[in-house]
Amino acid sequence: MRTMERTGSIMGGRVLFSLVPVSLGILGALIANFPVSVLGGQVPPPLLVFMPLYFWAMVRPDLMTPFWVFTLGILQDLLSGGPPGVWAASFLGAYFLIDRQRDMLAGLSGIGAIAGFAVSALAACFTAYVIVALYYWHFPPLAPMLVQLAMTVLFYIPAVFALGIVHRRLVGPYRSDF
Amino acid sequence: MANGTWKIARNRGGAQLPIALLAALAVALILIGKAQNTLFDRARASVTDWAAPALQVVRAPLVGLDRWMGSIGDIFTVYQENLRLKAENARLRQWRNAAVMLDDRVKRYQLLLHAVPDPSLSSVMARVIGRSNEPFLQTMILDAGKAQGIKPGQAVIDARGMIGRIFLTGNHTSWVILLTDLNSRIPVNIEPGNAQAIMAGDNTRAPSLDLLSQNVTLKPGAQVVSSGDGGLLPPGLAIGTVVADPAGGYRVVLLADSSSSEDVNVVDFKLKTEQPPAASPNDLPATAAGLPPAAPPPVAPTVAPIVMPPAVKPGVPPVPAGPTTATPPAARNGAPADNGNE
Repeated sequence: MRTMERTGSIMGGRVLFSLVPVSLGILGALIANFPVSVLGGQVPPPLLVFMPLYFWAMVRPDLMTPFWVFTLGILQDLLSGGPPGVWAASFLGAYFLIDRQRDMLAGLSGIGAIAGFAVSALAACFTAYVIVALYYWHFPPLAPMLVQLAMTVLFYIPAVFALGIVHRRLVGPYRSDF
Repeated sequence: MANGTWKIARNRGGAQLPIALLAALAVALILIGKAQNTLFDRARASVTDWAAPALQVVRAPLVGLDRWMGSIGDIFTVYQENLRLKAENARLRQWRNAAVMLDDRVKRYQLLLHAVPDPSLSSVMARVIGRSNEPFLQTMILDAGKAQGIKPGQAVIDARGMIGRIFLTGNHTSWVILLTDLNSRIPVNIEPGNAQAIMAGDNTRAPSLDLLSQNVTLKPGAQVVSSGDGGLLPPGLAIGTVVADPAGGYRVVLLADSSSSEDVNVVDFKLKTEQPPAASPNDLPATAAGLPPAAPPPVAPTVAPIVMPPAVKPGVPPVPAGPTTATPPAARNGAPADNGNE
């Protein structure tokens, strides 16, 4: 009986921890789109939602599924005030890229890992740019998007350490990888 | 950072189909949003209404920090800035006197000409509780909504000039689309010369001017005000000054700085609906053709009236139950009963 209870609590904990990547994505979307800026709104906020998305799409794609990527994109659309579906489609485009190049991206380390993230973020931002240009039938200025991309890459450097700790302590590797 | 140290879930595969399906769904959402954005906007307004108290609480310390950071650089230029402001203040006092005299003169002329007075504007003061500077969207959030009488389309101004328009209202919050936003299009007048143009935002700090007439040449420094075309915005709201665009054309340097605005006014502008003049007898087609005016239509119904007995309505003389007094159709149309058309 005690063994069953322990098994149940372990299973419950595992389910809870499996929601950590998505929860961090939601938290990132909330923080990045909180409409208060300490820099007077001069600099676009980083795409915080994309950091856990990229990280776990690479190391635990079973926890960061296309459905969750779509959901995080919709949340980003809702909170950022833009047209619906733009970031959802953009994140799915980046996810497609990560899915195809997972082995290569996961093998990168140091500056290479940051560069891999930058390329994926660029894919997401560029897709969003093209969709917005088609949506409004007008090319928006490129500079704000590039600044946002730079901010995202800059913030990813400390964020990846935090994500790594969360992954090791709470989420863990896939069971079949042991 | 070393991604290679983590083990990766290898039993993937088959993710392409869900990606394709969800991407199709996202594209469908974009198209639906383009055609009909009400549902998404309503959800967005509800989220903002729900988060408004938290925004107000968090905003105060961040605004203080923002001010402190913004004023660090100003410490070194305080003296020069003070001199410049004194000179500007003296110049503005002269302009104020001129404006007061001209305002009096205009009022006298309006009185002499029996001109229709300008519609009075009512406004609601609101506080900025949030700003969003996304790459494709520039908005701010106000702490006033439908409950305070805010409606989409109303102009938002601060002490310096126009900032933007309301585009989404919740119960207690509203979203402002800034003049610099990609979606902003405002009909404007450029003074002097009364040139008409459309001021279009493109997410840069200075919106561009699309002149409606190709023959107009603008001078840098000309004043840009709202034209009031379309009846949505009040005419004459100060917006900015014209500058030449190095890439060609003209741009507007805005008077208001949306990044530093704290309290704004939402202007409620309603044009009085013009009532069409009442038709006189001469306006009726028959009299206009020289025919005699039509007899007033009879009140008697085509069915014989019911005679009430005196006991039911005491004091009222009984009405004789005679034949119906229905007017022939030709006579009702204002023509003689025999043959009016010949």
